[in-house]
Amino acid sequence: MAAVADILENIDSLPALPTSVMRITAMLSDGTSDLGEIENVARNDEALSMAIMRYGNSALYGRSGKVFNLRESIVRLGGKALLKIVLEQKVAKLFDGAGEAYGLQRGDLWRGAVGGAIAAEEIAKKHRFQEPDLCFLCAMLRDVGKLAMESHFGAEYMTQVFSHLEPGLTFMECEQSAFGTEHAEVGAELALRWGLPERIADAIRYHHEPPAEDPGHDRLFDIVHAADIICLWAGLAIGSDGLQYKLAPHVRKDLGLDRKEAEAEITTTWGRLRELEEMMGTSPAREARA
Amino acid sequence: MGSPAATYTGTEVGGKIVVGVADLAVTSDPSTTLVTYALGSCIGVTLYDPVAKVAGMLHFMLPNSKLNADKAKAMPAMFADTGVPMLFKAAYDLGAEKRRLIVCAVGGAEVLADDGHFKIGSRNRTFLRKIFWKNNILLSGDDTGGSISRTLSLVTADGTVVVRHKGKEHVLWPQ
Repeated sequence: MAAVADILENIDSLPALPTSVMRITAMLSDGTSDLGEIENVARNDEALSMAIMRYGNSALYGRSGKVFNLRESIVRLGGKALLKIVLEQKVAKLFDGAGEAYGLQRGDLWRGAVGGAIAAEEIAKKHRFQEPDLCFLCAMLRDVGKLAMESHFGAEYMTQVFSHLEPGLTFMECEQSAFGTEHAEVGAELALRWGLPERIADAIRYHHEPPAEDPGHDRLFDIVHAADIICLWAGLAIGSDGLQYKLAPHVRKDLGLDRKEAEAEITTTWGRLRELEEMMGTSPAREARA
Repeated sequence: MGSPAATYTGTEVGGKIVVGVADLAVTSDPSTTLVTYALGSCIGVTLYDPVAKVAGMLHFMLPNSKLNADKAKAMPAMFADTGVPMLFKAAYDLGAEKRRLIVCAVGGAEVLADDGHFKIGSRNRTFLRKIFWKNNILLSGDDTGGSISRTLSLVTADGTVVVRHKGKEHVLWPQ
């Protein structure tokens, strides 16, 4: 059995959370966005600049016949859209190549991260939750613990363990039983070590099992949890864990989530993700791992 | 096929044709494999005509296109009631005949403790069976239900259907 501290001992071998994401996280947490600072981040990052210009010139933001440069694209898109673009780009790098231990194909973790972010934002807006951008961020980072688990235990060993999961248990119970901890807990601790605010760490910690009552209940956690289930139904980032998760009954009730609304969220999430992938030129086809 | 758009024809990756979510592919190339990854509550449908050597695969997400007519128009493979007819028509266009088709279905899993509130996977299964029943199509292979994810492959040379789950494979057809 491994303690979370042991797993995070080799934190230096994990990809660091980029400074840009740290700054953006702070902006989202305190509700500010600084166009000048985002421009500074983008100017030093060619891939990010290209992405911002692709967005700025895409049909999603209206056609004008004019080609917008980086500065014009930044102004045109506005702070919140830019924050999301930076996150999508940077988290893609963070998750790049990871997920084999969880039976995921290359790129699946990123698709799951972005799909969850989109779903969380949609649910937050629909329910007039005041912090849709924070929901977006937390849902995007919710599975970051899988990186640390994979790095510590190794894909080969974890694959072997996961091939003997008990079907009736939740995946969290299976991980807990096999490793003494699970990816949500590890992800939360990793977030704290990265210096992220405690509430974001808790959104990661509770993304599978959000507290139903005070102390501990937070609608942010409920929304991130619901977004995670929507992603499963949308076929995003399903690995060896399959569908061995439960939707918390209080989340279903509080969000008034019924089948019809769930199906609508599934199609919306999937559609927005597909638009994003088409715009960014990223193929949904995954390369099978050997 | 109804649409030549790449999104509905699968994507060639490493000698295989990868069928994504809400996607379908049909081919008469006998030297490839159709594959779709990580079927959860979604269902993968395969068909194969052993005479015409036509193979097809659909990965649909939800049962009924009435949910979102715009999405169904743009992405018919997302729904069973629009994706299944499109799959069969595409196969017929390449010379397949209904009476010879070997049809299999895989996926349709459910989250734990759903308690009948959503039943996304089981509704997919039920809806698909109704479509097949109405059209006199019998399933030659059926690996659906549970809470697991499955990867589905169809070898176009001989119609072998393989289901992979947690690194273990079994042949669904021929049995």
